[in-house]
Amino acid sequence: MRTVIKNILLIIIIALNSFKVFAKDNLVTDLSESTVEISSTFSGADILLFGAYDGQKNDDIIVIVSGQKGNIKVDKKEKKFGIWMITESIKFSNIPKYYYIASNRKIEEITNKTEIKKRKLDLNSFELKDNKIDYDNLDKKWYEALKRNMKKKQFWKIEENSIKLNKNTLFRKTLSLPSNVSTGMYKVKILHYRKGNLISQEESKIKIDKTGISANIYNFAQNFSAIYGIIAVIIALFFGWFTNFIFRRI
Amino acid sequence: MYIYLPIAEQPINAFIVLGIGWLVGIIMGMVGIGGGFLLTPLMIFFGIPSPVAVASVANQLVAPSVSGVLSHWKSGNVDFKMGTILLVGGVIGSSIGVLIFNILDAIGQLDLVIKLSYVVFLGIIGSLMFIESLKLIIQTKRGKATRGKLHQHNWLHGLPFKTRFRKSKLYISIILPLIIGVIVGILAALMGIGGGFIIVPAMIYLLGMPTSLVIGTSLFQIIFVAANTTILQASQNQTVDIFLALILLIGSVIGVQIGSRFSNLMKGEHLRLFLSLIILIVGFKLIFDLVTIPLDIFSISII
Repeated sequence: MRTVIKNILLIIIIALNSFKVFAKDNLVTDLSESTVEISSTFSGADILLFGAYDGQKNDDIIVIVSGQKGNIKVDKKEKKFGIWMITESIKFSNIPKYYYIASNRKIEEITNKTEIKKRKLDLNSFELKDNKIDYDNLDKKWYEALKRNMKKKQFWKIEENSIKLNKNTLFRKTLSLPSNVSTGMYKVKILHYRKGNLISQEESKIKIDKTGISANIYNFAQNFSAIYGIIAVIIALFFGWFTNFIFRRI
Repeated sequence: MYIYLPIAEQPINAFIVLGIGWLVGIIMGMVGIGGGFLLTPLMIFFGIPSPVAVASVANQLVAPSVSGVLSHWKSGNVDFKMGTILLVGGVIGSSIGVLIFNILDAIGQLDLVIKLSYVVFLGIIGSLMFIESLKLIIQTKRGKATRGKLHQHNWLHGLPFKTRFRKSKLYISIILPLIIGVIVGILAALMGIGGGFIIVPAMIYLLGMPTSLVIGTSLFQIIFVAANTTILQASQNQTVDIFLALILLIGSVIGVQIGSRFSNLMKGEHLRLFLSLIILIVGFKLIFDLVTIPLDIFSISII
């Protein structure tokens, strides 16, 4: 069902040998800040990430794309009076609405657990904070449900072994954004590992924005909601009259 | 062709939605009843969040009602006095309905209540229509169609605030049409329906209105109820998707016109039998989804 309508190139050039000013293992990046526009025909986007790095044999590249943080509610259904209804809900605050990790091989093989936790290289390392909820003592099933559902909607995704490294200098990866991706500034982080140690990293941003008529309608509906309702009614009134007018003549 | 719905925030195949609106419109035109009670569950099956489906279908409802009233008005089949009292009740009712809608949304049970209301209403309407049309078919076969008394006097005619409805040739209390209006208004706001299947029998059997005036008058009041619901839903919940409503209404108004032209192709009772089966199927599908164990008992919503 999902068709790719946008191809955006995000060019990341890392540590070209020609940049003599930098020590050999430093990263130099040249980024083109990109914008993904959600227009009225939006059905998802593919973003091609590619770049060059100054690597050695067995070096690793990890890419992390993280979206805006927000609140996500997890509802639990139970059978009551023969029907399945929501009986319990837990709100997770300050959690990324989009999170994507890609690497050239298994992340566990690339680096150690402390580094994974520190750099958030898995889906279990987000810092959950809420004054009202004690997440530490919360049944694990809630977070597992959150993770499972976010993965199912493709909002959270891990693709290990998916980055192709070429001659220790080039890498490329296509990132597919689902059609209902949330808007905002997305952080793209490229991490360069050697023997389990992070030797350089670069960060850039992609702006995901609603544009065109559907964005204008959305904003109008939020900001001038009563007028929006009146206009919706007037349009319907007009069409009702118009069809009567047309069909009376046929 | 995919169109990104600005309020539902998802892409949708415009041709399929247009086609659904058109088919429901044809049924509406042939049988002479509103299609909200079919459109809303179909949109829910389609993946539109139920609050958005309800509000947008209420929005689209304005169009076929206007177009219907205009043709009934031309033939002089609208009792504006009765319509006005019904619509006053309807506006009050739809405001109460939106309030209930907000409360249910706040406690997180809106989706369930919308679906349950549909199960109940589709079940009742579907079975009543099924039995009634089957009876008629059997009776016509036996060749003795009987009809009950249309206008009966009962305790309802003893209520105060009596007024004369010249067009309907009635002298009754305004309390009853007012209450009918309120009930229909609540349903419109909660379920995105015009409530024709409630108001039409209520007007015939409770108020004793002449059958010829009933449809035009009920359509007249539905315009205002649907308009009030749309404005309230838009301003309080931002759930009216103008794109969705527009696609549906274009499909349905064309369908209605075609349907009404071909309404004499099929016998009324056969058509109603067919429609009652569709209604029952939609109702069963809703019950089925509510009673079968969900794929995942956990679900998420980004807020």
